[in-house]
Amino acid sequence: MLRPLPTSAPQQRRHSVMQGESEVSSDANLVLTTILGSCIACCLYDPRAKVGGMNHFLLSLPPHAAPDDIGAAQRYGLYAMELLVNEMLKAGAHRSFMRARLYGGANMHSGMRSIGLNNSQFAQQFLAADGIALAFADTGGSSARRVDFQPATGRIRCRLVQDIVPETPPIAQKPPVGEIELF
Amino acid sequence: MPNINILTVDDSVSMRLLLRAALTKEGHQINEAEDGVAAAEWLEHHQPDLVITDINMPRMDGFGLIEHIRAQPRFRDMPILVLTTESTAEKKARARAAGATGWIVKPFDPDQLNSVIRRVAH
Repeated sequence: MLRPLPTSAPQQRRHSVMQGESEVSSDANLVLTTILGSCIACCLYDPRAKVGGMNHFLLSLPPHAAPDDIGAAQRYGLYAMELLVNEMLKAGAHRSFMRARLYGGANMHSGMRSIGLNNSQFAQQFLAADGIALAFADTGGSSARRVDFQPATGRIRCRLVQDIVPETPPIAQKPPVGEIELF
Repeated sequence: MPNINILTVDDSVSMRLLLRAALTKEGHQINEAEDGVAAAEWLEHHQPDLVITDINMPRMDGFGLIEHIRAQPRFRDMPILVLTTESTAEKKARARAAGATGWIVKPFDPDQLNSVIRRVAH
């Protein structure tokens, strides 16, 4: 059972995981932290390898997305999830031992009700398809969340933040595409 | 170009589904393997026109798979594309030395991927 994070610990360092980033560590003195609105943070923890990681992503879907936009957004979400899973595997974790916790996916902006829901559903579908157990999900609602995650122990604290608007409304932008090189 | 037979190798089910959607749109026939070992086993009895492989996979990674494939004369001219989240020059050079045909960094654009396939598949 995961216990709440201590309010303070000596020599504890905090790294903010910003939108589009992911970080994996087994450093006992590190706390990964992020603030979420409609974005999703997936926290993975392997209790056997004692390694954890967090990502923070948004599918960037416009309100009336065309099929091509939806496809591009899903490819980007997939990339964000795979990046985190790959870093976990490199750090010694195994997919079958990983436990996932999802946070965020709030409906922060009126008229964009489905953005947070889409992000949350996407992450859950990815985990189910890729055989990673979803241990807990705290998603939806209309409030921002602050998440603190200690990757070496898997301890997580999530608080609702009423007075912070953590992100601008998602805009219809094309997700990045990776480079191509032929040898 | 005529439809071709492609083997996709990735430990992520979601990624394989996404690749299948992108490639079947062009009419290609798709076979899937979850890692290098499963791919090597399938290749013992099959001759695809092209392989698209991830790098980070359990049991046998993409580098090992490329080396395994190139060690067999019947696969000497078969294009092998790497599709990965990795983008370091060192890993790219390692794939090139092992015999990869090209390197594509995720997230990928389906149209660009199909364009690359048209260029490298014979």
